[in-house]
Amino acid sequence: MTDATELGADAEAAVRDLILVLADTKRLLGYRYAEWMLGAPELETGIACSSMAQDEWGHARLLYALMKGFDEDPEALEHAREPAEYRSMEVLDASAGTWPEAVALMALADVAVTTQFEALRSSSYDPIRQRVEKVVEEERFHAAHGAAWFQRLAEGTDASRSALRDAVSDLLPPVLAWFGPDSERAGVLEEAGVAIETGSALRSAFLERVSDRLARVGVEPEDPFFDGFDEARRRGPGGPDEETIRRIRGDRNRAFLMD
Amino acid sequence: MIYEVFARKSRGEPLKHIGNLNAPDVELAKVYAFNTYDEERWFDMYVAPREALAEVFTEDRGEPVEAG
Repeated sequence: MTDATELGADAEAAVRDLILVLADTKRLLGYRYAEWMLGAPELETGIACSSMAQDEWGHARLLYALMKGFDEDPEALEHAREPAEYRSMEVLDASAGTWPEAVALMALADVAVTTQFEALRSSSYDPIRQRVEKVVEEERFHAAHGAAWFQRLAEGTDASRSALRDAVSDLLPPVLAWFGPDSERAGVLEEAGVAIETGSALRSAFLERVSDRLARVGVEPEDPFFDGFDEARRRGPGGPDEETIRRIRGDRNRAFLMD
Repeated sequence: MIYEVFARKSRGEPLKHIGNLNAPDVELAKVYAFNTYDEERWFDMYVAPREALAEVFTEDRGEPVEAG
């Protein structure tokens, strides 16, 4: 179906929330990649990060545009919201301070987002389904980049391995929680045929995909807690820091648009 | 390690050497090649470690190139 109202009120709200979660997460992820255009360990990886930043922003654009189907103005969503309104993945709230932290983001958070997209491949909501393949295809190279660097750090020195292990143990619980609980809301998405899997099934699919790398750094996954978890935002309270949001909204120089 | 990058624009065309890059292993070399040489639309692309290229012959005698 192409008209969101055909989904029924519950599913319509759940799809709208999901699209905004994915759009905001892609936007923040792109910004985090962009932060490594300079200062990455080698020139080539800086170029890769810049290219992945462009991909993520492209995906975010595409997703914000879908919000028109829910009578929302993409322009307002992209430029007029406060940090606490963003629905981006919690682990993207702050910059990765070190390269191992950045690699953990690439090898886990980015893969988690793609796992979610893959569950939308046969979506009953046409506007999503028609855009998923392009996203998943471009993400192949992100996954390869994250996996290769993860392995390089894991097999590098004691210092690189332990820095990576620390980053992974910090990052894993909120990334696992991001898939959400097996709630009524999640069930609605499956019943409407919007997503083939939700909640714990997606979490398992993700864990299967990253189990080798978790084992390599000796981090055991634990069942997530959902205290304070807002299902519409797929995260706990708070949001990215003010400066990050100012920069991704492009506040400082919006006056020069002059339309 | 230095990897040489080869690509072609369409099926049947000969592979062309388009550049090189530094990468620690072949997996990253593939990612870096994909991201670095993306100005043109290629039909396919390959990387090979420079040391895997065996010289058949060369006219280069190591003589200095004349200025001018």
